[in-house]
Amino acid sequence: MISLRGVSLVYPNGVRALDNVNLEITKGDFVFLVGDSGTGKSSLLRLLYREAKPTTGEITVDGIRVDRLRRNRVPALRRHLGVVFQDFKLLVDKTVWENVAFAMQVTGAHTRDVMRQVPRVLDLVGLSHKSRMYPGELSGGEQQRTAIARALVNNPKILLCDEPTGNLDPANTTEITALLLRINLKGTTVVVATHNQAVVDRMRRRVVRLEDGRITTDEERGYYYLGLGQGQVLSG
Amino acid sequence: MDSGKVKFFLGEVARNFSRNTGMQMTAIGTVAITIVLLGLFLFVRAALAAVGAQLLDQIEVSAYLRPDATQAQVAAIARFLSVDPMVASAQYVPKRQGLAELRERTKGTIDTGLLTENPLPDKFRIKTRVPDDVPAVAASVRRLSGVDNVVYGQKIVARLLQLGAVLRRIGIGVIIVFFAVAGIIISNTIRLTVFARRREIAIMQLVGATSTYIRLPFICEGLLDGVLGALLAVGLLAAARAALWPRLLEALPWAQLAAAPVDLRVFAAELILVGAAIGFVASWLSVGRHLRT
Repeated sequence: MISLRGVSLVYPNGVRALDNVNLEITKGDFVFLVGDSGTGKSSLLRLLYREAKPTTGEITVDGIRVDRLRRNRVPALRRHLGVVFQDFKLLVDKTVWENVAFAMQVTGAHTRDVMRQVPRVLDLVGLSHKSRMYPGELSGGEQQRTAIARALVNNPKILLCDEPTGNLDPANTTEITALLLRINLKGTTVVVATHNQAVVDRMRRRVVRLEDGRITTDEERGYYYLGLGQGQVLSG
Repeated sequence: MDSGKVKFFLGEVARNFSRNTGMQMTAIGTVAITIVLLGLFLFVRAALAAVGAQLLDQIEVSAYLRPDATQAQVAAIARFLSVDPMVASAQYVPKRQGLAELRERTKGTIDTGLLTENPLPDKFRIKTRVPDDVPAVAASVRRLSGVDNVVYGQKIVARLLQLGAVLRRIGIGVIIVFFAVAGIIISNTIRLTVFARRREIAIMQLVGATSTYIRLPFICEGLLDGVLGALLAVGLLAAARAALWPRLLEALPWAQLAAAPVDLRVFAAELILVGAAIGFVASWLSVGRHLRT
């Protein structure tokens, strides 16, 4: 589903964000990208949805060679992807319903498809009863659920999340994590960049660790810190 | 295209348009001024061209005879003119007829009753086949004996046409400047809207809206600025024409002839098209520059 081969990314200011990254993610995977701030987690996600282009290397997402993708083909790629951010990126002057519908409407979807699909994803994230509210009237967790609903509304095969719980308290974090898992169980490939140790350690999913732009470990059922559970790190 | 899609799209355009009302008004006003100037310029140019063509067509050579010219000299001149291939017609106008024509032309504004004798000389009124031959005919007639003086309106026409050319050059310069100003203001208006909507645009790009789709509302906004400005201008021009035209005709009787063959509806449509073009080009360039990622 996602494949990176020998990918490096050097920003114009000379910063080497990623250095010879090789990564395979198969369909239906749930993958955490972990590492300290500035180790290249966000850069890696940005390469996947073609917000950045790799300096060298090959990137394939859902059969599309992203590194070679022409600018006018980028919209087609992004319709296969859902992206969720730490700061939600909701439109404050639109309701929950409108925010979610917007993602379909601007891709030229038929109104009857919008009317069918939006209630479905709002139900999935548990916000059907708040569809007429504005983002300012929602809790952080509800805002992020709205953003997730928007990311899912075009039925993407892959959901990319960049610090989805970064702005949330523990209760909302748990809620969002459970939602992401539920989405994954429905068959969507989920990639989550995070430095939330609790989330990673509780889920025991595949953990890919980045340090200074390189993948240092890749564990099938990992912890946030290499081979260690939460309690052990705190005591050590 | 279903109605929901149309409604959503029009809603987006309306939101864009109402976002910076002050800027929109400025843009519309500038387009209006530009198009009023363009309209006036085109009108004046058409009028001058018509007047010039008419004067050139009407131009005739007056060969005034010496007071002591003999019958034989007059007959010789008439013979000369009748064989000249460049001459279309030549008419002998004795001074009595000349005075009567003058009275007719001035329609009582000059009191010819005060004249104790007729001050006019006899003359030949000569028309050439083409205006360009006027100087040659005038020169050859001047050499004939019995001819005192030869007069034709060439200098006036030349000056008129020269004036027209100068006005045209100034007009085109002014209009180019105003087109540039209108374009820049529309482009800035669009840029403000793009800036105000940068979050929407980012999300559109994220969820896979095509760049054409993202551009379209902004292009429509620019088009709207251009067309509304042009409509305003056409309204102003129409009002000005209705108010000033009768008085202009009174003041300049000869202008009536020049005003004839302009189809005002076609003219208005052309001006609106120009407004739409300014809006389209300005917003297309502006959005293109600011959406590049």
